[in-house]
Amino acid sequence: MISYSQAILLGLLQGVAELFPISSLGQSVILPRLLGWDIHQNDSYFITFLVATHLATALVLLGFFWSDWVRIVKGLGRSLRDRGIDPADKDAKLAWLLVVGTIPAGILGLLLEHRLRAVFASAQSAALFLILNGVLLYGAELLRRRAPAPETGDGDRRVADGVGWKEAASIGAAQALALIPGLSRSGATMGGGLLVGLSNEDAARFAFLLATPIIGAAAVLKLPELIGSQGNGVRGQALVGALCAAVTAYFSIRFLMRYFETNRLTPFAVFCFVEGIVLTLYFAL
Amino acid sequence: MSKHTALVAVAVIAGVVLIGLALVYWIEPAGSLPSWLPGHTSGSGHHHVKHGLAAFLLGLACLVFAWFRSAPKKQQHEA
Repeated sequence: MISYSQAILLGLLQGVAELFPISSLGQSVILPRLLGWDIHQNDSYFITFLVATHLATALVLLGFFWSDWVRIVKGLGRSLRDRGIDPADKDAKLAWLLVVGTIPAGILGLLLEHRLRAVFASAQSAALFLILNGVLLYGAELLRRRAPAPETGDGDRRVADGVGWKEAASIGAAQALALIPGLSRSGATMGGGLLVGLSNEDAARFAFLLATPIIGAAAVLKLPELIGSQGNGVRGQALVGALCAAVTAYFSIRFLMRYFETNRLTPFAVFCFVEGIVLTLYFAL
Repeated sequence: MSKHTALVAVAVIAGVVLIGLALVYWIEPAGSLPSWLPGHTSGSGHHHVKHGLAAFLLGLACLVFAWFRSAPKKQQHEA
């Protein structure tokens, strides 16, 4: 079972790692192993605990981008009413880009989650995939279509202009990579955004908007486990962990949105690569 | 029937079939699913809720596609 101190540490880590492109699932598999905790990724109480922390992160994301989501939902409604997307209606275009990006990720997640969790549940494999995550992030920066530069104006409008339908589907599907501990959801979507020509700031914005329904839906789907008998003995810890995750998620997203105005993914690529190498050697010895 | 109308018809049929399939996944246990359906497991009482959700989402996407495609020409823009 998870203690309250473990719940606090894991919650704080989850809020940061879910939004930073360093694989929250990977970090939450590795930390218990490093600290010698008897917690495993596939333990039912740990999954229940993660549901709460994910829900908290999704709510923070929703709140942070609340005004964007209100515009996006209104745009979605307008396009359905008009049975088409007005080229001038960037909110409607962004809404459908998010739908197109979320469907493949949702379907892949629903169908593959259990199998991938079973195969890649160990800290050793998470460390190896962290190395790959670092390579992917660095590769996205190398292959980006445009040089990083400060942006002006409405970020949602720039995203709607810069991303096409096939690109949205590809970036969205790339989120399914995050089912493998060690590979980052936000890293995959930010990297995808860079490859289609977005700036770091806009790629981060699109990644966080895409993440909200996926993280939220995954958490809501498993909410019965938290409320039901599976949540017995872990609800208090889950609540504490969720509060900690909410706090760090809020500060993480504030930091990252400013950071990506002028900075790149490269430091996170180096971090994942070095962490993966060090941990792989540590686990092997 | 024009190619455009045929596409809309196929999307509507696919949407309805997929949503029907979602209901089957939600109602029938894995052991009672037809053997050709993904998720069929002889004797299992488990309900494939996630398979159902996946089918439902795909079905909904097909119906939305048909909704946009069948819009009158003057209203149709980009979708």
